[in-house]
Amino acid sequence: MASHGVRRFKPVEKTPEERQQELQKIEDYKSLEQEVSGKMAAQNYTADTLKKISELLNRNPEYYTIWNHRRQVMRHHFSEAGDSADETTSQPALQLIKNDLMFLIPLLRSFPKCYWIWNYRLWLLDEARRLLALPEARKLWQEEFFLVGKMLTLDSRNFHGWGYRRLVVETLKQLGTPEEAMGMTQKEFEYAKKMIGANLSNFSAWHYRTKLIQRLLDEQRATDDERKTMLDEELSLIHQALIDPYDQSVWFYHQNLLSVFDPDTADRTMAPNLTSAERLAYLRQEIENIQEIIDGAEDCKYIYQALIECTVLVSKVAGSLSSEDRDQILSWLSELKQLDPLRQRRWLDFEQTL
Amino acid sequence: MALVSGPGRAGGASPDQDLHILKHVAYIKNLDTRKDELEYWLTEHLRLNGVYWGLTALHILGHPEALSRDETIEFVLSCQKDNGGFGAAPGHDAHMLYTVSAVQILVMIDAVDELEKRGRGGKQKVGSFIAGLQNREDGSFMGDQWGETDTRFLYGAFNALSLLGLMELVDVAKAVAYVQSCENLDGAYGLFPGGRVFTCIGALSIAGRLDLVNKDRLGAWLSERQIDKGGFNGRPEKLPDSCYTWWVGSSLAMIDRLHWIDGKKLAGFVLQCQDSEGGGFADRPGNMVDVYHTHFGLAGLSLLGVEGLQEIDPVYCLPKSVVARCFAE
Repeated sequence: MASHGVRRFKPVEKTPEERQQELQKIEDYKSLEQEVSGKMAAQNYTADTLKKISELLNRNPEYYTIWNHRRQVMRHHFSEAGDSADETTSQPALQLIKNDLMFLIPLLRSFPKCYWIWNYRLWLLDEARRLLALPEARKLWQEEFFLVGKMLTLDSRNFHGWGYRRLVVETLKQLGTPEEAMGMTQKEFEYAKKMIGANLSNFSAWHYRTKLIQRLLDEQRATDDERKTMLDEELSLIHQALIDPYDQSVWFYHQNLLSVFDPDTADRTMAPNLTSAERLAYLRQEIENIQEIIDGAEDCKYIYQALIECTVLVSKVAGSLSSEDRDQILSWLSELKQLDPLRQRRWLDFEQTL
Repeated sequence: MALVSGPGRAGGASPDQDLHILKHVAYIKNLDTRKDELEYWLTEHLRLNGVYWGLTALHILGHPEALSRDETIEFVLSCQKDNGGFGAAPGHDAHMLYTVSAVQILVMIDAVDELEKRGRGGKQKVGSFIAGLQNREDGSFMGDQWGETDTRFLYGAFNALSLLGLMELVDVAKAVAYVQSCENLDGAYGLFPGGRVFTCIGALSIAGRLDLVNKDRLGAWLSERQIDKGGFNGRPEKLPDSCYTWWVGSSLAMIDRLHWIDGKKLAGFVLQCQDSEGGGFADRPGNMVDVYHTHFGLAGLSLLGVEGLQEIDPVYCLPKSVVARCFAE
């Protein structure tokens, strides 16, 4: 379907031999497909059927109906193995699930962005929760950390990987004690920090971190002072990251942090109970810090956007826009209009609101 | 009929700024003649989407008759399952994604009645398949009985059900609350690329709840997707891709902020993605074309008001005339 990033090439006329080979491949593929459909129609859910299904999925992992067939066959095998977790017979089901998880590894390695494989894997792990004793199920879910860690090392911006990681963490929290859950949030927070350290422009990692901070503070029932400490740490981290002011990901995280000082959004942020005086002090400090970055990066539009954002927030907290601040905003805006011609009319719209 | 959605036969001419309408029409028509290529069979799981992409592109190009109406209806109905849902091709399992494509195609060629005449149980049956995939507790939607949940399916459900006039089958308020829970403080939605924003804004738009959106903040995020070359990317610091012309552009249009970006430069980027010899559009200039990027590239150009194209509706991704006719009935 969607061929992403494949260079266009002139088609070479196929020799009769090559054409014959392609037709043979089509023939083989279709006969395998027909064999699988036939077995499914006959409700022939044997080990051999599973083998044929595997063969077909190895050739075409995007064929979602075949993944559904696989689920049906696996369910049949599970019920044969005895499908109750409290019996002592969960061993055969465990083995079936383990084998199937193994089958998926090379496919995920070759097709890390194929939705259907990830979905099937999650289904299988949910089956583990249904069929196995809790410690067994938990162990399987825990092992997913290694897998997703490896995937994210290979491609730290694969959003399937990040989404999957979030699901694994959520499930493990449900399967463990509250203390374990809290420890896990902390560990994930550090993981996101490590990934950001490795690549500052990792938008997914920054995004993940935003969500984790919130959860961490809530789980710890953090006091307002503790929340303020976290905020200070985040601000200092982002200031370090802004050493490269041309990186957009970092500025989005900065903008995210600023919502702490916005009376409209503060209650959804890490430090909801700051006083207006505190908010104003923070914002003035931000404006000062950001102005220091301008030197040597005069052509960096993000700096002016952030300065404007902070100053608009000042007026929101204070209840009115001082004429001094207004003049400042207008001068930054005139820089922006020059530096950012693509979004010219956005800046004109904004000017109208002043 | 079975329109393939495989990659294009390549051409190599230098990109230019003219829109090669007839080349694109020919490219789409020829997609179905490629049964001697393995790729045709390996992409069967996308066939019904492919028909929607190809047919919509033809409508945008002003050549709706280039595919036979009868054959299209026949093929769509051959994909329907007993539960009322549609699979990607005959014999494939029913899924939300293909059910939405089926409804969109039938609406586009004004053939929803055929569901009653020749389908399995009429439009009510299709509607109940879709409604059955809603999680009544949190309002979200699954893709099929196996449980994957995603805002793509929620948007798709709203799209198809509203076109069929069957929104009363689902809990709209809960679904809206679910979409709201996906909003981030940066104004965007969810962890995923710009395409995800489209599904959330599209769903809110159909529900008549765009008042819940912080338009300036989202508009800012979306407008920053345009990079110097003119194209949109899906996330910060990523390469541009012609399909984001649609995902990002239509979202901007829905919140009345499409003028916040440079439309001329964006259209220029998309036109460079054309294969001016063989027809079709690629993700980036010089790359292999496919029907997905051909459809979304053209839809994006239509959104930008490029001359010679039929107007597209930013919410439904169908020609405006089709949406108007559907809701006038």
